[in-house]
Amino acid sequence: MAKKLGKKARKFARKNLQSAAKRNRKIRNQFNHRRGPRRGGSAGREDGDEDVPQRVHDSTMVTNDEDATLIHGLEFPEDDAELDADLSDSDGYLSEDPGCPYYSDSEDEKADKDCIMEDGLDRQNDDMNRDIKKQKKKLKKLLDKDPEFANFLEKWQSGLESYRSKEVLDSDEDGMDSMDDDDDSNDGNSPNAKVLTSKTISEWCQLVSKDPKSPALRNLLNAFRDACQYGVHSDGPSMQRFQNARVFYQIITFVLSESDNVFRSLLEIQDDANKGKIMNLRNSKKWQTVDPLIKSYLRNSLDLLSQLTDNKILAFVLTRLRASVVLFSAYPSTSSRLVKILFRLWASGDQSLSLSAFLMIREVASLLPDCLDLCLTKSYNTYLASNKLVNDRNTKHIYFLIDCLVELYSLDVQKSYERAVTSVEQLNAILRQASKTKEKEDLRKIDNWQYINCVNLWVRFLCCHYKDYNLHPLFSEVLQVIRGVAHLFRGTRYLPLRLRLVQMLNELSSCSQMFYPIPSLLFDCLEFREVSQKEQTQRTKINFSSLLKVPKNLLKSRDFQEECVLSAIQVLSAHFAQWSYHVSFPEVATIPLFLLKKLHEQTTIEPLHRPIKRLIDQVIENKDFIERKREVVSFSPNDKASVDSFLQEEKVSRNTSFTRFYASVAENCQPKGRKTL
Amino acid sequence: MGKRSGSKRKDKNKVILPPELPPEIDDDEVDLSDEDIAFYATDSSNVAPFRRFDKKSIDRYVGRVAGRDEGEVERLYEERQKRKATESSGKPREDDDGLEVDPVDALPTKTLQGELVYNRAKKARCEDNTGGVKSKAQENGADAKQSIKKDEPKGKSKNKKGDDNKVKNIQSQTEVPKGQPHSNVLEEVKAELSAEELFEKKKAQLAELGMAMLEDPESNIRSLNDMLSISNDKDQKVAKLGLLSLLAVFKDIIPSYRIRQLTEKELAVEVSKEVKKTRYYEYTLIRCYKAYLQKLVSLEKQPHFYTVAVGCMCALLDTAPHFNFRENLLASVVKNLSSSDDVVRKMCCEAIRSLFINEGKHRGEATIEAVRLIADHVKLNDCQLHPDSIDVFLSLRFDEDIGKDEAEEEKVKPKKNKRWQKNQEVPKQLPVNDKKKTRQELMSKAREEVDVDLRAVSFTLDPKERKRIQKETLSALFETYFRILKHSVTTSNSRTKVNNVSPGGSHPLLTPCLEGLGKFSHLIDVDFMGELISCLKKLSGYSDRQDEIPNDNALSVSERLQCCIVAFKVWRSNLEALNVDLQDFFVQLYNLILEYRPDRDHGEVLADALKTLLWEGKQQDMLRAAAFIKRLATLALSFGSAEAIAALVTLKHLLQKNSKCRNMLENDSGGGSLSCLVAKYNPEATDPYLSGALASVLWELSLLEKHYDISVSSMASNILSMANLNPTQNPVPILNVNPLEAYRDLSMERELLKPASKALPLNLKKKRRGKEFVALSPDVLQKADCSVDKDELEVKLQSHFAVLRGISENERLRAELNHTLSSVNTYKDYKKQKKKNMKFKTGRKKVARV
Repeated sequence: MAKKLGKKARKFARKNLQSAAKRNRKIRNQFNHRRGPRRGGSAGREDGDEDVPQRVHDSTMVTNDEDATLIHGLEFPEDDAELDADLSDSDGYLSEDPGCPYYSDSEDEKADKDCIMEDGLDRQNDDMNRDIKKQKKKLKKLLDKDPEFANFLEKWQSGLESYRSKEVLDSDEDGMDSMDDDDDSNDGNSPNAKVLTSKTISEWCQLVSKDPKSPALRNLLNAFRDACQYGVHSDGPSMQRFQNARVFYQIITFVLSESDNVFRSLLEIQDDANKGKIMNLRNSKKWQTVDPLIKSYLRNSLDLLSQLTDNKILAFVLTRLRASVVLFSAYPSTSSRLVKILFRLWASGDQSLSLSAFLMIREVASLLPDCLDLCLTKSYNTYLASNKLVNDRNTKHIYFLIDCLVELYSLDVQKSYERAVTSVEQLNAILRQASKTKEKEDLRKIDNWQYINCVNLWVRFLCCHYKDYNLHPLFSEVLQVIRGVAHLFRGTRYLPLRLRLVQMLNELSSCSQMFYPIPSLLFDCLEFREVSQKEQTQRTKINFSSLLKVPKNLLKSRDFQEECVLSAIQVLSAHFAQWSYHVSFPEVATIPLFLLKKLHEQTTIEPLHRPIKRLIDQVIENKDFIERKREVVSFSPNDKASVDSFLQEEKVSRNTSFTRFYASVAENCQPKGRKTL
Repeated sequence: MGKRSGSKRKDKNKVILPPELPPEIDDDEVDLSDEDIAFYATDSSNVAPFRRFDKKSIDRYVGRVAGRDEGEVERLYEERQKRKATESSGKPREDDDGLEVDPVDALPTKTLQGELVYNRAKKARCEDNTGGVKSKAQENGADAKQSIKKDEPKGKSKNKKGDDNKVKNIQSQTEVPKGQPHSNVLEEVKAELSAEELFEKKKAQLAELGMAMLEDPESNIRSLNDMLSISNDKDQKVAKLGLLSLLAVFKDIIPSYRIRQLTEKELAVEVSKEVKKTRYYEYTLIRCYKAYLQKLVSLEKQPHFYTVAVGCMCALLDTAPHFNFRENLLASVVKNLSSSDDVVRKMCCEAIRSLFINEGKHRGEATIEAVRLIADHVKLNDCQLHPDSIDVFLSLRFDEDIGKDEAEEEKVKPKKNKRWQKNQEVPKQLPVNDKKKTRQELMSKAREEVDVDLRAVSFTLDPKERKRIQKETLSALFETYFRILKHSVTTSNSRTKVNNVSPGGSHPLLTPCLEGLGKFSHLIDVDFMGELISCLKKLSGYSDRQDEIPNDNALSVSERLQCCIVAFKVWRSNLEALNVDLQDFFVQLYNLILEYRPDRDHGEVLADALKTLLWEGKQQDMLRAAAFIKRLATLALSFGSAEAIAALVTLKHLLQKNSKCRNMLENDSGGGSLSCLVAKYNPEATDPYLSGALASVLWELSLLEKHYDISVSSMASNILSMANLNPTQNPVPILNVNPLEAYRDLSMERELLKPASKALPLNLKKKRRGKEFVALSPDVLQKADCSVDKDELEVKLQSHFAVLRGISENERLRAELNHTLSSVNTYKDYKKQKKKNMKFKTGRKKVARV
């Protein structure tokens, strides 16, 4: 607690807040505030235009804590200090310059009625309006009939009021109203309730575009604030400020697209300003004047982000906001809130939204060094959480997430390496435990997507950086985990898991140029197995990319066998392709070739004959090619340099038939498997 | 049977059979500590609890904690007192109380070690919940586990059932007084009650009988009959309890000698009362035992009693392998060795194993009987048994010199023996009968008997006898093994064509058989050798016709590799004196390497084969060595690191032994200057001589140098360095292990057991990346920058606004509506109040008026 207090105290010193009482209230307000947007968001989703992935994602975020056991401690610890980190000042109503004009609009007041609202809510509102009228009439009749009743009613109402206000006080000032009241009274200038018209806004926009220092900026930002909080408190004064939807649109688009430029010109900073510069600026007089404006802008943008539900708009807001990331460095609490929102959006299924969220995250992580740790932890944990459920639809998204993570972890390899080591050690410990006990429960911890994709993540990380850094210790740890998992999960049922591991091994092998005997893990796939003779009326689609364990009833099905062999061919040809220029390629191919020929002879599945034959032919061709080439060389196997330089020109030109063959194989499976990025 | 009573009885026996007890045994067996004796002295009726610890457990306790047995005694004493108290005070309670005790538990169970376990006491105390229960259970745990495990679950379930019934009874009892008019219900309840009562009664009866038996077997021997009759009860539960109680009793009272049928002469002779009593006792015991066994054998056929009956027989065989009717017991147990019931099979295997291991109990006679029975069993079932039934042979133990110089010994020893026997036995034998009528027949018979008895108690075996028994055992053992081999040979050829069953399925006994042959290879008679080798050859898949596909063999790769290993072991353990051509086994191994699959076959067997055939062998034929070298190198490229290292270790060894093969390390243009028959290397050749491996170059090693596993890659470079050395020089040895050890060292199981290595911290210069992306592809990134369409954005934002407004409007309206509605509703209240006021007023008015 002492630490927290210290933190707060420092913040307040910076913010020049006067009283502890005010601070306390504001913490509470902040608390409420954070709950507020949620309410708004969920309300907003009541109408039909929500999107499925978003919802799915939200549910996973909510259940995050309960499912922590499922992640079985793979994730990094997250210190829950956000609560007080999020401590920030009021949402800052800016005092407006009275000189700035408001224009009454000549437009028809009812113009907003024609807008896109035709959903049930509207009709319901109409119905309710009617009902109210009816009831009021009734009440009036009653009042007319019995004038004494008016007195009684008044008494009753006043009683109700006092009861209500008491309740509000009791419930820890849960209502947003009280907050607003507080704010208003304390800041000494009540928010302007003047109606904003389209004309007013355009006028202001023009003013600001001409001169950034124009007082209209304040008005605009206030309007922006109201727009961002629109709908949060239904009976707040801001509800009536917007004349119609267009005004709302105007404000939001203008502020989002222009404010970055405006602030930059106000502060006179360039595009490449980094955190240090901003920190230097903070003491300058210039900053003092602009500070509340920026604060208001950033905070309200965040409010907007947490309120919006449409992916397109979110992406737009993110893209706009990305330009001003550096400004967040002045407000650590705000930026941690930003990070939170960003990760929620990043994990959502929508591609463009997650991409823009990620770009923003990356910007935050690279521009704000304080946030890097938080970002790394958050991104890893979010990744794990979204790996709980893998199906055909989200495999692509998960690959995208892996790439993003690798991207993020590449910002500071030194730091990331430590995290990677911790994570891989955890994986290793789980593996050892399972191999010791062989108990179902322990095995379940490995036989799931979170574990496997976690391994996959570090494999990708290694692949990206193996060349540039000395990552060998991590490399061998990861390798051991992969081998251990392959060893623990033998048997036909786990072939998809095994193929996935082999893919990782291929990746590792090609990045490190080390030899891994891939065929040793593929014998099971290339073994001929009995196919059930039962005529299957319905072909079941087996997609290995979203499977770890094959259901028992499919074990003997043709489709499974087919998929097995095809996947094996794919990974095997990747292995061959890697060593297709090596002097000992004929020997590498000997035993697999032996198996392939046997399988080709035995298999009863017609569609497999051709691909197997094709691979055999290609391998034999390449084998003959290498044998011819090496007959004319004079060096011995122990001459390392010569062995390494063997066929280097051909390798660079990538022109042998096997390379082309592999390219075609890789292309063929691209729609099924991962995209080669 | 307590030690004291036991020795007493033996003393009595002395009257009839004087030489029965050598005096030194008393000391040996009656190993009472001072405390024990003191304890004994305190209460003469202490015999029963005292029985609980035998020499072994005491020894162990003493060995562990000095003075521990004192505590033990005290504990036992206390316990006994407690039990007595409960018994005397709670006698009536036992019959009708809910705290009813399983009769099986009521009897102390004697464990294999002879420790008595009072389950009853434990349970009762369990319910009294004293803390001592646990400690007691732990103390007894080690010894008692077996018996508890056997008895407890049953007891528990029964107890539960009993409780359930109790509950029912109580319910019905409470129902009756409620006045159920239906008489049939009443009858039903009555019948139920009576069945319940009967059960309880019988249990109590069993418990009483058992306790009495244990307290004084000699005077209560007749109750065995009663117990037997109880075990014939119609109620299966009761019968089971009876069987188990009898088992406990028998385990305790069976004497340590075999009871002999009395001859007529002996019967005719007048004997003292004591002897009569003993004879009667023995007669009853043996009769009941026989009846009991018959009962078990007959019950064994009933599925309900199967496990219990077999369990009883196993326990009896384990405790009393020396006693009468062992043959019958053995026959039943052996028959159940291949039972499909896992539990039963495990029990039988354990019983037979302990028979083999503890030969002292029965001097090896039971061993030979068991081995013969198993042999017959295998024969009868045409080798289609569970592998466990042969696996037990691995527990057999033979003396090392059994096969040798038997002729010599036979000449010398018998004489010695006889003389010794005569000297010792004749005087002892004298007091048996009236000395005048010593007939030769009787003499010899008696001597034999005496001999047997002597050995039974002295646990020593006449070396000659021992040898004879072992030889017979051995021959029966090998008979079985050969039968299995022959059977596998004959069926493997015919069967494979019919169905392609999974490997190992058709010859369940082969693997343990090969294992056994490997283990006892040094004991195999040279005469059998030739046949054995040819058998193995056939089994390993070798055929004279080269064109035959090796896959035709039904045996799995592991089994075939094992055949090769066994053949070599047999050959080697006979000092390689045998003149057999083992070339074919090399060919087999050469081909089997290609058929090996890491997950299907046992890598250890492959490594073992490499070790036995190639690593341990002397100098190889050059062509053959070259072929193996090439194939092993290829193998290392396609299999995991454990197989690879085993192959490389072998390869290196071969290269060292066959220096000419080192040419393969070098790439002479023109390749094989040494090649003779085949100029071009054929990797898929089936005959090592025709592979042309000498013409090849070991390019594999250059790739193996890049192997991810550091030990494999360093091994590869080590081998490659041989190329620069003289033929006589060897490279620096880096891994001095045989292939099997190398395999084990690198196998995944081992690796996962090793402590996790800490990854070293990364020390690199802070190299912050620029802005470029590493993982995301540019075309993905491009998508992000295409900004949202303006119109679309406008529409979406406006609709967002509209929705928000709709919601807030809705909320506002709702509030207003509610307010108005409640206002209207207050009118009712208002009216009510008004009325009340009116009434009040009118009332007051009335009052005023009045």
